[in-house]
Amino acid sequence: MSRLAAAEDLEGLRASLAAERERVGTTIVVCGGPGCQAAGCRAVIEALEEELDKEGLAESVAVRVTGCHGFCEQGPVMVIEPGNVFYCRVKPEDVGEIISSTIRDGEVIERLLYTDPASGERVRTESEIPFYRLQERTLLALNRQIDSSSMTDYIAVGGYSALAKVLRDCDPEAVIREITASGLRGRGGGGFPTGRKWASCRAAPGDERYVICNADEGDPGAYMDRSILEGNPHLVLEGMLIGAWAIGAAQGYIYVRNEYPLAVEHARRAVEQAREVGLLGDNVLGSGLCFDVEVARGGGAFVCGESTALMASLEGKVGEPRPKDVHTVEEGLWNKPTALNNVETWANVPLIMQNGAAWFAGKGTKGSKGTKIFALTGRVKNTGLVEVAMGTSLREIVFDIGGGGSDGAAIKAVQTGGPSGGCLPVEKFDLPVDFDTLSEAGSMVGSGGMVVMDERTCMVDVARYFLAFLQDESCGKCVPCRVGIDRMLEIVTDITEGRGRVEQLDLLEELGETVRETSLCALGKTAPNPVLSTLRYFREEYMAHIVEGRCPAGVCKALVEYVIDEERCTGCGACLRACPREAIRGESKQPHTIDAERCVRCGICLSECKYEAIVVK
Amino acid sequence: MEQYVTLTMDGARARVPRGTSVLDAAMEYGICIPHLCHIPYLSDMGACRLCIVEHIENGRAKVTTSCTLRVQEGMVIRTNTEKIRKLRRNIAELLVAEAPNSRAVQDIAVRCGVKEVRYPFRNNDCVLCGRCVRVCTEMWGARAIGFVGRGKERHVDFPFGVRPDFCKQCSSCVDLCPMTITPCDGPMKPGEERLCGKCESQLQVTEQIPDTCVWCDLGMGFNCARQA
Repeated sequence: MSRLAAAEDLEGLRASLAAERERVGTTIVVCGGPGCQAAGCRAVIEALEEELDKEGLAESVAVRVTGCHGFCEQGPVMVIEPGNVFYCRVKPEDVGEIISSTIRDGEVIERLLYTDPASGERVRTESEIPFYRLQERTLLALNRQIDSSSMTDYIAVGGYSALAKVLRDCDPEAVIREITASGLRGRGGGGFPTGRKWASCRAAPGDERYVICNADEGDPGAYMDRSILEGNPHLVLEGMLIGAWAIGAAQGYIYVRNEYPLAVEHARRAVEQAREVGLLGDNVLGSGLCFDVEVARGGGAFVCGESTALMASLEGKVGEPRPKDVHTVEEGLWNKPTALNNVETWANVPLIMQNGAAWFAGKGTKGSKGTKIFALTGRVKNTGLVEVAMGTSLREIVFDIGGGGSDGAAIKAVQTGGPSGGCLPVEKFDLPVDFDTLSEAGSMVGSGGMVVMDERTCMVDVARYFLAFLQDESCGKCVPCRVGIDRMLEIVTDITEGRGRVEQLDLLEELGETVRETSLCALGKTAPNPVLSTLRYFREEYMAHIVEGRCPAGVCKALVEYVIDEERCTGCGACLRACPREAIRGESKQPHTIDAERCVRCGICLSECKYEAIVVK
Repeated sequence: MEQYVTLTMDGARARVPRGTSVLDAAMEYGICIPHLCHIPYLSDMGACRLCIVEHIENGRAKVTTSCTLRVQEGMVIRTNTEKIRKLRRNIAELLVAEAPNSRAVQDIAVRCGVKEVRYPFRNNDCVLCGRCVRVCTEMWGARAIGFVGRGKERHVDFPFGVRPDFCKQCSSCVDLCPMTITPCDGPMKPGEERLCGKCESQLQVTEQIPDTCVWCDLGMGFNCARQA
């Protein structure tokens, strides 16, 4: 492809690409996101290509492998254009039928359609599915239109037009004014106003400046950034180009964790493609902007998602945070002014510049504008990525979009914001999800993880899990984080193992407050949130553990007992054979018993028993 | 650029050279802020968090370490509020529970007002204050020791655990280590979660007359904030 020397070249290229896209009649869109990969979409894609070859349709039917569509629960998902027929849970065996009936004859295969659980009817297209219909998908909707490895697809659907517009019409100050007016706030967790960050970075004295894209997403269960960077890497690049123009940077970095191999690959390919046509490099589109991007891989430390630790890591030092008394916009990477934003924040930038600040500010609440992607996981029916306008209530997200509890169990709480967020009980589900409201309620939007919990989840155990995660991921530099989290974990573990004392709850609160106030970086400052929020909303569960020696959810092993219901037990011996501790005894065809001394409460018997005779007390 | 800045600490106006840390400025003006990892001639890493102060900015009090905070014109600092004292006491309590045998850490804990320790003791021989690592790196440029591992596993060690040739055994690291300063009569046994009688009796003394302390070279005569 030849170099794009000016904006006109880009427009010319776009016109020819769009015309080419028109010519292709049928396109089979297959999601290649992480959820569908796990569900086996690779095999489906291979089968599709093989079958199309065999049928001689390889020329007339295109297969587009895209980034995440969001509905991971139903993966692998497939959309057939035109007509937008939506198939879910597609298996390689289905491919032959899809090609013979849907592609050749235009007939819809009923059994592959999604069934609306409310009405029981099968629906044909995405737009009829409540999961999609109730969302406001601006970033994620782009994923479906783009082959994630192709720049031409991105350009064909309007990519880089925001950049061309900015370079032609806006001086840097105007870009910053526009971003400020849009009310965009950082999507990585802090929620800092992006416009203000850029303005201070531009105003900071210095000859060199940097922009960084933080793709070191590490929250358990969260994969928003991954989906964008894997599915639409050029959108992020375009955002960074606009940011570089606004603050006057000549070099950018994408710091992506190495555990996301596909994101690394796609980001690198996108950078190469953009360099090839001159969208990165000297004199971008004839505007005088000189900007290049390097992709750096993170080594797997959670703390490197913290801005100063990330910069230390980029410099080749140990990834440890430093005190932020001097902000990174003044002294960041190599002590130069640096604007660091999260993947999703960068991805929003081109859309804002394209559609205007008013368009963006029109969505969301007073303090939080635009849309936000959430990773809905846990005990919920429709797990996946959900993009909604800020201010949508938790109830809408969990019950209307998420479809409620996964197998009919009552939902108890939702944990928002990853390990540093808090647990909000179902009574708080009418709260609008925005930065300020969730912080007030003791949780946070964070990067957008949402783990749904039902009555089978023990909140003390949840607090213990997140503390253990953070204790493991703390860099260990400062005392409150290293020792404080460890001590909190010690106390909570005591409680889950039946050694808790009531006065420890006050100590836990006091200690949590100390860690929150005095830790060096945001990891420590937010680490007590899971404990403090569960103590605030689920104190009775803590009390049940301590006073009654009982785990209401039946999770904490030291506090539960496995017994066999003699009425139900048929003496089939399935549990007896499966027990690794030989704790189950009994004659064939006679009710069995569990020796509590030997039992380690591993739960194997529970899953083996077909008669629901094993009871957890 | 003006070479001096004026700031307010605990209501008193102080004029100090630009670039000074708030901790140094406070010590200069006789306001004693407890600290462990700070050494005047080495860089500050903000590890022990004992020197926290309240920095009043736009009407909001922000808790931050004074060793890493540089003075600015018109800055307002509070070093000894009730909140700060409580946080400091909690941090000192965490520290002393990690290293109950260190006379220096005990001393700090007592002066920060710790009277009982609510956590089981762990007899660690290092509190990771990083004095040794910084003196080796910054004073001598040797980098013979450094931090290894993350979180709970973090410890000070030679590269790959072997003493390198460029360690000249100058013992600067040992000299600065708070754990090597006269161990107390201890060791305190697990289960005895309180400070030993010796430290408590010393508390009585420090409450009346500011005593010399391990970490403060200002000596006697100052109204030491640590007694609060």
